[in-house]
Amino acid sequence: PADTRDTAQAPVRRAPAPVTDVARLCVCDLLVAQCDVNCCCDPDCSAQDFSLFTTCSVPVVTGDSQLCSQKAAVYSLDVEANPPERIFKLIDQVNPSIFCIHATNYEQALYLKSPEIPTPENFDQLLDKFGGATFSAEPDSWNLDTDAQNPPDANETSRYEYGVPVQTEDAFLRLPSPVVSSWCSDTNPAGFLVNQATKCIRSVSVEKCDSIQALSMLFYINSSILASVFQVNITVQSIVVQSLNGMRTLLSSSDVLRLPMLLDELCINAVLGVNYHITHTDTGEIIEAAAAFVLGAISKEALSIEQSFEISFTQEKAQPVPLSGNPGYVVGLPVRAGFQPQGYPFPAAFPFAALALSSNKHSQLTILHSTSTQDCLAAQGARAPVLFGCNMISGCKLRITAATKCQPLAQTLLEVLKGQSFPEYVASFGNSQAQDVLDWVPITQLHISEQMISHTLQSSCQIPVSLGIEVKWTKYGSLVNPQARIVNVTATITATTLKQLPSGRERIIPVTSSVVFTDISSPAEPSYKAWPTIDIKLPFDFFYPFV
Amino acid sequence: NNSPQLSSLPLQILLYVNGIYYIFYFLATLAMIIYKSQVFSYPDDLLAPDLAVLFLMAILEVPRLYLGFKGNLTEAEAPLGLSLGLTVGSVLLCVYLLLWQTYVLWADVLLSALLLSAYGLESGLKVMAITAFVS
Repeated sequence: PADTRDTAQAPVRRAPAPVTDVARLCVCDLLVAQCDVNCCCDPDCSAQDFSLFTTCSVPVVTGDSQLCSQKAAVYSLDVEANPPERIFKLIDQVNPSIFCIHATNYEQALYLKSPEIPTPENFDQLLDKFGGATFSAEPDSWNLDTDAQNPPDANETSRYEYGVPVQTEDAFLRLPSPVVSSWCSDTNPAGFLVNQATKCIRSVSVEKCDSIQALSMLFYINSSILASVFQVNITVQSIVVQSLNGMRTLLSSSDVLRLPMLLDELCINAVLGVNYHITHTDTGEIIEAAAAFVLGAISKEALSIEQSFEISFTQEKAQPVPLSGNPGYVVGLPVRAGFQPQGYPFPAAFPFAALALSSNKHSQLTILHSTSTQDCLAAQGARAPVLFGCNMISGCKLRITAATKCQPLAQTLLEVLKGQSFPEYVASFGNSQAQDVLDWVPITQLHISEQMISHTLQSSCQIPVSLGIEVKWTKYGSLVNPQARIVNVTATITATTLKQLPSGRERIIPVTSSVVFTDISSPAEPSYKAWPTIDIKLPFDFFYPFV
Repeated sequence: NNSPQLSSLPLQILLYVNGIYYIFYFLATLAMIIYKSQVFSYPDDLLAPDLAVLFLMAILEVPRLYLGFKGNLTEAEAPLGLSLGLTVGSVLLCVYLLLWQTYVLWADVLLSALLLSAYGLESGLKVMAITAFVS
C-alpha cells in the first residue's frame, strides 16, 4: 500500500533551475515580450530598436569576479555605424590575483541557494525553521543568545506606559467598541491610563444564548492581566441585574458566577455592561483589577442588544477625584476646593493635616445659580460650579417688606450667596492631591460694609447683598507650555444697611454674586546661564616652608 | 675498506628540503583556509574535512621524514620502505587538497603541485636507494 501511494502522488515540483549562462542572462529585461529601452541584452529587441538606443544600461554580464577565469558577455553600441548597432562579444575574463578561485567543489559557493520546495515530509521541519518572525542561516548558534535575552523581557511587562495595551495571558485586555459601524468589535485593546467608555451593538439570538461568548461573564474575566512577576486576576466587584423593564437591582453576593441560560424563552444573565476598575501604583505597575457587571435578560424578539463598556484607572492610595488639569488648570474645568478636617489641633509648628476632599459637588467652589423665578428666598440652593477661566455673574431679587426681620434675613442671604458649605481652601493646581497641603490656597474672606459710619454699624444690621470672588492666577512653568496656577482667592461680601420700611411698602433689592479670574502672571524673562567660574583651591599646605 | 657509500646524497638533500618546505606549505594552507572561511561562504560541515586532511598530512609527515632519514643514513631498506608507504598516503592527501577541497585557489594549486613533484622525485630516489641497499 505504501508503494502505490507513492506512485499515485503527483511528481514533486522543483523550482526552475537557475540560469548561469552569461550569454542568456539579462538583468534589464523587465518587460515580457517587449523591448526594454537601452537594454542591449534584451532578446525581444530587434535591430531597429537597437538603432534607437543611446547607451547600454548593462554593459557587462559576468559571474563572480573571484573566479580565476570566467566568461563575460560584453554589450556595446557602435554609434559610428549608420544606423547604430549593438555589438555582442563573449570573452574570457581573467582575474590576475593569486588568490583567485581556481575551482570549487561546493555547488552553492557562488550562487544563491535554491529554496527547498515544501513537501508533506519536510513541511514540519521547514515550519520550525522558517515559521517564526526571524530566522538565521545557522539556527543553533542563536539558542544561547535568546536564552540570555529572556529575563530582561519579563521585566518589561511590569511597567506600563500611557497608552500601551494592557496585556493579559492570551492577548490584550479587550474593551469591545464600535469600529466603523456600531457593531461591537472585540479586538479593541484597552490602553493603560486611558479611561474609555464605549457603547456598541451586538447581534444576539435567544436560541444561541449560552453559546455566544460575549454574553457570558467568563469572557470578560477569564484571562488574568500580566503585571510584573505575577498575574493579576480580574475580580468581580459587583453584579447589577437589570430587568426587562429597565429596573436595576444590586445583588448582595457577587461571588457566584452567573452564566447566561435559557429560561422561559428569555435569555437571562446576559452581560449588558462591564465596568473595569484597574488600580495601579505610581510607577505604572498594575496591582488590582475589578469588574462590575450589569446583567440583563434578552427577550425572544430581540435581534441585537446594546452593550456598554467602561474602563477607569485609579492610583492606589489616592481618592478617585476627577482632575481639573494636569498640572495646570484647564479653562472650563471646575475649580477644586476643600476643607480642613474639623477638630484637628494645629499648633504653629505642626504641619497641616490633609484636606478632606470628596468627589461630590458640595466641596467644589460654587456660585449661586439664577433661577427663572429670580426670587432669592425661593432659590432652593441651586448652585453652579465655578469653572476656571470663566467669569460668571448671577443674581436674584430680594423682596423686602416691613415685616421682614433683619437678623434671620442676613443669615438666609449669607447662605444663599455662599451655599451650604463654602470651602476654605482652593487647589492651586488642577491635579493637587489632598495630602499635599501646601498645594492648596486658603480663601481670604473680606466683609465690606457699604456704610462705614460707626454709629450706624451698631444700630442697624447689615445684610449681605453681593458676593464677589476674585481668583488671581498666574502662568507657571516653561514659556512654551505654561500651566495655570491659582495664587490667591478672595471672597468679598458686601453688606448694606437694611432700612426699616414703613408698613405696606416693599422694596426689591438685587443680590448678586460674581466670579472674576484675573491673570497676574508676570511677563516671562529670559534667563541666561551663569558664566562658568573657575573654582581652584590651593592645597592646604601649598606654601609649606613659608607658612 | 673500499665499500662504496650506498646512502644517497640527493635523497638526503631532498628530504631535508622537503621538511622545510612542508612547514611552509602547512602554514600557508592553514592561513588560506582561514582566509577562505572569512571571505567566502564556508559551512562548518565542509570546513571540517579540509582541516582534518591538512592536520592528518602534518601528522604523517613527521614519521615519514624521520624514517626516510634513518633508513638512508643506516642504509637499511626496511625504514625506507615504510617511509615509501607513508609517502603514498601523503600523496593521496595532497591530491585531495589539490582537487577536492571546497575552494581551490590558484595559490593552492601552485603549492600542492610543488609538493607533489617533490614527493614524486623523493619516491623515485627512495626506490633507487632501496634497490642499491638490497643488492
